[in-house]
Amino acid sequence: MSEQRARQGVSLKAAALWFIKWFTLLFFLAIAILPFIWLVVNSFRTNLELETAPFGFPTKLSFENYRNAAVTADLARLLLNSVIVAAGSVVLNLVISSMAGFILSREKFRGRDAIFTIVTAGVLIPIISFMVPYFWMVTKLGLYDRLISLVFTYAAINIPVSVSLITTFMRAIPKELEEAATIDGCGFNQRFIKIIFPLSRSGLATAGTFCFIYAWNEFVMAMLFTSSVKSRTIQLGIRFFTSQFITDNTGMFAAIVLSIIPSVLVYAVLHDKIISGLTAGAVKG
Amino acid sequence: MTKKKGANLPWIIAYMLPLAIFFFAFFIFPLAFNVYTSMMRWKGGGEMTWNNFANYGKLLQDGTFLLSMKNNVIWALSQGFIQIPLATIVALILARNPRGWKLMRTIYFLPNVISTVAIAKVWTALYNPQFGVINGILKALGLDAGRNWLGDMSTALPAIILMTVIYIGYFMIIILASIMNIPKELYEAAEIDGATKIQQEFRITIPMIRGTLATAITLAMAYGMRHFETTYLMTGGGPAYSTSTMGIALYLKMDALRYGEASAAGIILILLGTLVIVAIRRALGKSDPMTEAAQ
Repeated sequence: MSEQRARQGVSLKAAALWFIKWFTLLFFLAIAILPFIWLVVNSFRTNLELETAPFGFPTKLSFENYRNAAVTADLARLLLNSVIVAAGSVVLNLVISSMAGFILSREKFRGRDAIFTIVTAGVLIPIISFMVPYFWMVTKLGLYDRLISLVFTYAAINIPVSVSLITTFMRAIPKELEEAATIDGCGFNQRFIKIIFPLSRSGLATAGTFCFIYAWNEFVMAMLFTSSVKSRTIQLGIRFFTSQFITDNTGMFAAIVLSIIPSVLVYAVLHDKIISGLTAGAVKG
Repeated sequence: MTKKKGANLPWIIAYMLPLAIFFFAFFIFPLAFNVYTSMMRWKGGGEMTWNNFANYGKLLQDGTFLLSMKNNVIWALSQGFIQIPLATIVALILARNPRGWKLMRTIYFLPNVISTVAIAKVWTALYNPQFGVINGILKALGLDAGRNWLGDMSTALPAIILMTVIYIGYFMIIILASIMNIPKELYEAAEIDGATKIQQEFRITIPMIRGTLATAITLAMAYGMRHFETTYLMTGGGPAYSTSTMGIALYLKMDALRYGEASAAGIILILLGTLVIVAIRRALGKSDPMTEAAQ
């Protein structure tokens, strides 16, 4: 009897644990996707529909919000600006970080490890505390309201992350490859361009993805450095829906959906690289 | 490599030069400039005049700045001690590889690649008192449903913090990777000794990932100390500064052309952020905060 009761207790406990386990997993899954599904659904509805029935579905599939958003907020322009800024900062960031990573991973000289530590410790700096100096630099250099100010800033802010990822990646490339090439008469530049750079493609892609996502999503510096439509990025454009025509929520939702698509696409294709990039450090520590 | 030592030095310098220039311009110089201007009376344009730490004095007597500091501490504590435990629980479950765990891991991280602007605007709508889903759910459950979550001084801060601590993806992935690095033999041995799954988590997993947890808590708290964007987008620091943070105070000072005070706020932000990192690392007993947090 008592044994049976004990067994019953165990299976009840197992059932409770099973329930808690799946409840937890599903709860956080819901948190991660439901708000965005709600967003997409409502981007096809009218403001009146949204305000009267927040849970409802569109009565007819209409792209009017998208059309309105595209016209009134000049979305094509804003998206193009964001593409220019993101692409520019990724290229600049990768050029700087791969050159430095090459030296930091392959050459021996005094202070090398100290440089690596100082540069990677840059992530500990709260960048928002630099709003005053950055703004001052941008206006002093005559770069205010120009996309190039964002390209430089985003490329620079991502240097600590990129240098850390790329240097770690390059360290794993066997030395023998270069030694053989050096004997064959390969110079310093060729070692980098012909051997290390191509072999590091995967590491560069990870670093580039992080930089792209950062640059595409950044808001604070874009707000601080730009004022006119000609240099406005998409993230900033979203904000103008609330101040320009106060109640156009569903129009804003359409703009948000468009702004999300590139980063979600990049993530859909490269999520393995992103996750491995994140865990590279965790495994070590 | 067979060449004489030092022959590569000009190349080394050339390859490091872009990094040196950018790192100096965007990290070293701004820090020095911030320290310098924090001791100046300065309206952004025009002359700077030395005012002998008056900016710091003003900030530390300013009720709204003190409130902002307090809010940052609340932010840091909730990121470190609500978000990380939640992330750890999910990581523990996923580490047992339930069906679909890889897909779930990918989805949990998804919000981290979506912009803060998008997330803040969606949640502003979800919290909306008229058509918001939050009140809709409460109403369906027969609860008090008329609340203006973001417009009410007593609920605005908890409402914003709540929607940020439940996005666990980033830290969950780091903790999960650390758990999956634990040798399987340890669990097999525990299984033979008759330890239950729950006991295994407390006696093996948690102690084995202590270092990672310490790093995660430290980073989460550091992010809490520098919080700006979500709050700025959802409430602008209001109502009545109740959700303000040091970052928002800094921005508002700049907006009011009090650049000296804004710089001082930046320095206080850096100092408190560093203090949190050092103190937490001390408390959790792990060496070398710099290189670990940097990775």
